Order: sequence, then structure tokens, then C-alpha cells
Amino acid sequence: MKGLAREVAIVGVGASAVTRNGAPLVEHLTVTACRNALDDAGLTGRDIDGVFQYSFGWDSPDCHYVQQALGIPDLAAYVDVGAMGPSGLGGALAGIMAVASGACDTAVVFRAISQSAGNTGSARGGGAPAGAMGASFPFTMPYGYFPIIPAIGLMMRRRIAELGASQEDYGYIAINARKWAAMNERAVLREPITMEDYLNSRLLADPLRLFDCDYPVSGASAVVITTAERARDLRKRPVAVDAIAYATGPNPDWLQAEDFIFGATRRCAERLWSRASVTASDVDLVELYDGFTHITISWIEALGFCGIGEAGEFLDKGRRIGPGGELPLNTHGGQLAAGRLHGLAHLVEAVSQLRGECGERQVPDARVAVVTNGHGPQTGALVLRTL
Amino acid sequence: MESAPGPNAIAKPMLPPTELTQFFWDAAKAHKLAIQRCDDCQHYQHWPQVRCSKCGSDRLSPSEVSGKGSIYSFCIVHHLFHPGFAADVPYSLAIVELDEQPGLRVIANIVDCANEAVSVGMAVEVTFEEREGYTLPQFKPAARAEMKA
Repeated sequence: MKGLAREVAIVGVGASAVTRNGAPLVEHLTVTACRNALDDAGLTGRDIDGVFQYSFGWDSPDCHYVQQALGIPDLAAYVDVGAMGPSGLGGALAGIMAVASGACDTAVVFRAISQSAGNTGSARGGGAPAGAMGASFPFTMPYGYFPIIPAIGLMMRRRIAELGASQEDYGYIAINARKWAAMNERAVLREPITMEDYLNSRLLADPLRLFDCDYPVSGASAVVITTAERARDLRKRPVAVDAIAYATGPNPDWLQAEDFIFGATRRCAERLWSRASVTASDVDLVELYDGFTHITISWIEALGFCGIGEAGEFLDKGRRIGPGGELPLNTHGGQLAAGRLHGLAHLVEAVSQLRGECGERQVPDARVAVVTNGHGPQTGALVLRTL
Repeated sequence: MESAPGPNAIAKPMLPPTELTQFFWDAAKAHKLAIQRCDDCQHYQHWPQVRCSKCGSDRLSPSEVSGKGSIYSFCIVHHLFHPGFAADVPYSLAIVELDEQPGLRVIANIVDCANEAVSVGMAVEVTFEEREGYTLPQFKPAARAEMKA
């Protein structure tokens, strides 16, 4: 399948304040981000007939709550995407499919998270959830395995052993995030770091270090999606969705996946390019999920910007992906430096870049962007281009 | 992981066995490693499922395996994810690929082995750790230290 059934565009983006401390009401964060996205598009709740969101359990308000808060009379389509979706992009992909199919015409998508009081990676109590999420728990928890930090440490070790990667490859992703964050006043970690800082950061699941991990914050992101036809009449320069893709891969499990190092990222990227009207060489910037540096490295190689196992050389000590580089990466600072907003902030940044609204960190003449979310069996991606 | 918990130690997490997982713990108690296997296509699968993930059969049985394998990957856990591991950090956490089938992976700590000596490809064999109320399969360096690719 090339393209979408109806051409779809993103016409509004919004965000709440992003904070490191305190415990703001997640309902407040959500409604603020959604209202800002509507204002950005020049729309009100009465113009909306779809709401989509990704939540991890009940950690953000449901679609019905948001419908009421935004004054939306009725929802022609809505989905609360569950935990196994490809992070915040999961809501956007669902919304895009609904608009493309005609199930609804104009949708609000959000991801909200309130955890700045401290998500330390500690194990949560309780039993095992049904299905794929909990199937491993009886065979992992007694050994001191708790999702998901050790899984990423295991992937990093295997990558280093099998592909000859180095710790420094990961370090360049962490350093890059701070470089861009310095130009984003909304980012939470704006001080530069060096390779020495990276290598000296605390080991959590050796070879995984603290600076391989994103930074917990509270905040919300939102986008407004409609048909390309309608988009042309709205306030801002619309950004078209060129292609979307999901992938889970065989054995969809973080530890049992056939493609252990890459999860489903390679299948997702292959599917994405098979549907896109552009190729990797047309891409002006990338917003690739960085819950952990390993995820970002996986996507760079999966998308074909370099060969498998060649990211270290490709990064060129970070020059390639930094300001002024050929492949600007995570230009808002990503989750490593702008905070763990769970994927949707990557989409907000890509749209802002393609509109030319990013000020000091603006990538010149940006026309094509790739946004990816997730790893393991939970991957999603899209290509955006200017209309 | 050999350290016996003191009287006030917090127990390591262990989920109550279910109809799908009971066989694994029964076998471990008898110092055997059992993995779910399809009666029709002989495919092993771990974690246990309600159908064979290869052929779809619902005729699945526990099957004793050799307990020999190699380390597919490992990490050394320094962060205290759960208070039950306070006396263990830093501890090794490994994915062991069992000899019976490519890609057949189990999780274990590598015992009787310094963290610094654990390596990808290392040949390992099952051993058993007695804990309060259950026996846990673990892995240790194989008696004959044959390296695997």
C-alpha cells in the first residue's frame, strides 16, 4: 500500500509545562496540551470528532474525560491505546488511520505523564498482567529482572559482542541530546556533557549507564490531525503524513524476540520505506525514540542511514547528528534531555521543524522528517513532509 | 546469590504458580529443568503459552532438557530494583540459550562465577538454588569449559 486512503495532515501541536519536580495533576497537563494544540490549529472542541491517546495502564485521563473537558459534542472515533502500543506515537498512528479511513475527520491526540516525583526504575508491586506483558514475569522476577532497564542492558551487551559496537557509540547519542537541548528553553537538562561524563555516569545494568536513560518529567503533548483537504484552510502551514508503519516481529517479547538487538525496528523501517513517497536520502531531520540510547542507535541503522553495526563510525563523533550535521537527530533534546514525554513530543518537534518554527535550533529548509517510537515488539514510525 | 537471607531480609519476588507455570517449579524442586514442548511438532517454547507458537497445536507437555547451554547475553545489575536483592547487587543477569533449540532462551543468574568472568558465549549448565518455599533453576560455568560461538 502506497500512501493513505485519504491524505492526512497535522495541523496543530501543543504542550503543557514540563517539570522535573512536584506532582502536577495529569488531567490539568492533558487539557492544557490539547487546548494549546487546538489554538495552534485555530480550532475549538466543536470542530473535533475524534480523540486518541496512548496510556500505560491508567496513567493518563481517558478519551471521554478529554472529550468533556474540550467541549467536544460527540466522538465519531476514539481509542485509548493500551500499554503494548508504540508509546505516544501509538495514539497518533491510531488517529491518522481513523482520519485516513473516514471514521472521523478531525482528531486530537495526546500523551500525558505525571511522574516527576521520581520514577527510579524500581519494581512495581502486584501480580502479572494477563497476556504478553505478564507472561515472562514468573520466570524473570525471581532472578532480579524487572522491565525494562535490564532488557536494554542485555541488548547493549549483545550488540557490543555481536556487532563490535562500543560504549562510546551510545555516549554520542547522550551527548547529542544535551547539545540540542541547550537551544530548547523547554528542555530540562541543558548543560552539556562530555564523553568522560557519560562514561563516569552510574552503572545501572552494566553496560547500561544512567546517561543511557531518559529523564523522568511531568508533562503532556498533543497534536491535531485532519484531512489534507481541510488542512489547507486552517491557521498554520500543514504538514502531511507521507507514510505510517507498525511492526511487532515474530515472538513479540522483549527477551524472546528473534531479532534481539533490534526488536521490530528493522521490520518497521522496511515497511515504512515501502510505503513512503520519499527515501532515506531525502530526510532532513529525524526524531527517533530515545527512552534509551540503544533504541536510537537501533533506529538509525534500521532506517538505513548506515549499515547494521556501523552507527559508531556513521555518527562521526556526534558531528553527523548534531547542530549543522547532515542528519540532525532529536532536535528538541529528545527524552534524554527534554524529558520523558513518551514519544509524542518527538512528533510535536518534527512538525514544528517542518513549519520552520524552531528558532535557534531550526534545521534550514527542512521538508522531510522521520519520527519513530518504541523498540522490542512495540514499534511505530511515520514520515512527514511539507505540503 | 548464595547468601542466605537474614531473619529480617525482604524476600525476593516470586509469583504464585499457575496452571501454565506449575510444571516448571515442580521440576525444579526435583532438580530438573523442564520446558514446555509441543507434542505434535516438538517445538520448545518459553515462556509457556496456551498454544504452540509454531504449529498452533494445543497438545503441549513439560519436557526435561539437558540443562546445558551458552550465555547469549548478560548484564551486571548494580541498581536496586527491588529490596529483596539488597545483599546481591551487583549481580549477573543472563540470557542462556539452551542447547536443545536455537533461540530457546531462559533467564538466570550466573552462579559460582565472578561477575568479571561472565562472558557472551560462555558454556553453562543448570544448577539449583534453594529458596524459602521453592527451588530456582540457576546456571553456572559448565564443568568442561567448552566455548560456544
